[in-house]
Amino acid sequence: MSILSIQGLTKRYGKITAVEGLKLEVEKGMSFGILGPNGSGKTTTLGIILGIIHANSGQFQWFEGRYGNDHRRQIGALLETPNFYPYLNAVDNLRIIAHIKKTKEAHIDELLEMVNLYHRRHSPFRTYSLGMKQRLAIAAAMVGSPEVLIFDEPTNGLDPQGIAEVRQTLKNIADMGKTIIMASHILDEVEKVCSHVAIIKNGKLLASGTVGAIISDDIQVEVGAEHTAGLREVFAAYPPVRKMEERNGHLLLFLSEAVPASTLNKLAFEKGITLSHLRVARKSLESEFLDITSREA
Amino acid sequence: MFYLLKLEWMKLNKFIAFRIFIAFYIVLLPAILLLGKRIPELPPPLMTNEVLFMFPTVWGWLAYVGCWLCFFFFGFLAIIAITTEYSYRTMRQNIITGLSRSQYFLGKFYLILAVSLLATAYYAFCALLIGYFNTPVVYWHKVVQDVAYIPRYFLMCFGYMSFGALLGFWAKRTGIALFLYLSYVMFLEAILRWGIHLQLWKHPSMHFYPMNAVEDLTPLPFTKMADEFLSNYGFSLFLSPAEAAITTIVYSSLFLWLSFRLVRRADL
Repeated sequence: MSILSIQGLTKRYGKITAVEGLKLEVEKGMSFGILGPNGSGKTTTLGIILGIIHANSGQFQWFEGRYGNDHRRQIGALLETPNFYPYLNAVDNLRIIAHIKKTKEAHIDELLEMVNLYHRRHSPFRTYSLGMKQRLAIAAAMVGSPEVLIFDEPTNGLDPQGIAEVRQTLKNIADMGKTIIMASHILDEVEKVCSHVAIIKNGKLLASGTVGAIISDDIQVEVGAEHTAGLREVFAAYPPVRKMEERNGHLLLFLSEAVPASTLNKLAFEKGITLSHLRVARKSLESEFLDITSREA
Repeated sequence: MFYLLKLEWMKLNKFIAFRIFIAFYIVLLPAILLLGKRIPELPPPLMTNEVLFMFPTVWGWLAYVGCWLCFFFFGFLAIIAITTEYSYRTMRQNIITGLSRSQYFLGKFYLILAVSLLATAYYAFCALLIGYFNTPVVYWHKVVQDVAYIPRYFLMCFGYMSFGALLGFWAKRTGIALFLYLSYVMFLEAILRWGIHLQLWKHPSMHFYPMNAVEDLTPLPFTKMADEFLSNYGFSLFLSPAEAAITTIVYSSLFLWLSFRLVRRADL
């Protein structure tokens, strides 16, 4: 079932196009990561689908239109900074959220325990540290156990322990079968939490698919020898090699299938070249990301 | 309606400024009028201070006091209740959480409506009480003679608050909105009316400015200036109550409609 369908979304701020013809499909149960460098249009996109920014053109539809215009009550969202009434405590702030969502308040204590804020529940929001504010925002997004959760850089500004906690919480939420949409510029985060990813830059969609597909089956192997030119000749004639790049004096091979390192070594040796360097690297989302974003720039 | 009013109540009831404004209004409304007890003699032709507290004139005098208080406290309240939601970014969060933009606007509208109604009810209560204890013989027809002040008082408060709301939605920042509100009500409109309009065109239309109409709903009950003005210019200093009421309704509707447009169109 489609949770969110975005068609040709465009938003311009004067001469700057923040989002350009964006098209995305999010299905139920996905953990969908929107990945892009700072200023790539991630937050603008989330702002549009959450009704706080008007798009110049394009459409989006939530839940195949099942809830009409009332769809935001089925969505828990944390956008950029946590926004609460600073003079109210955690409980009062969550009560307001529950009231707007028209859900029962009963599980507010549970949520505060989950994000480890129960002992501070009666302190005003303005006295919280950044990490506590962020955790309260995650609790707020969970009020009324919505079907879909949206997080915009959820670990922004947290210390390493906080980051680990938040990621674990997000994974737990994903395991509960909820749909998660998460924007981030931290690749590691998306790789750890998400099942699907869309990469955007300058408001344009560069790639989307499962994290596995984006990482692709490409295997990277770094080889080195005294004469790099000779190496090139050897591997140019070897079918699994999709392309080659010179990097730091070594030759980087992009292989379309896994080949044992020994095979590569043997191949070179048979041609009379002794490898001085051989390193197998699984291609990470990070290199793919840098690759894609620099290619299109 | 109660859903949205309850939401506004949850936001405001622990808000210090809200509590202070309400407390000041409750204390000051009767207190300022009762200060008149300290003045044994008034200038002619009033002479005695009893008119301040007796039926039916108590309606007018208390309304005049209330006009200043509503201008300050409830105009400010309307501004602050709106601008703080911009600065805390909670308006944006309310909408993300599930309110529609119309609902958000309606919440503020109901707040203005409810505060104006309660302020008016308190005004009526105080006027009845003060009048009852200070009129030697209470005749019912004297009590109700100026009872039309009650709906006009409501419109006066509503007029200030809707103007404050527009400035709040438009300026988005508390300081700027308060500055605009104070300077417009206290100086700018006076300059427009007396300095520009009257010099160019000596015509009663100079009274049909929004805040003047609001003030004329509950004018200073007696003023010598009014007679001088009438003889100099050939038309009255004040709008008639009906003119003031209609003018206020027209302007308030305009202000609220403009506010609604701002809420509907803004990127938050």
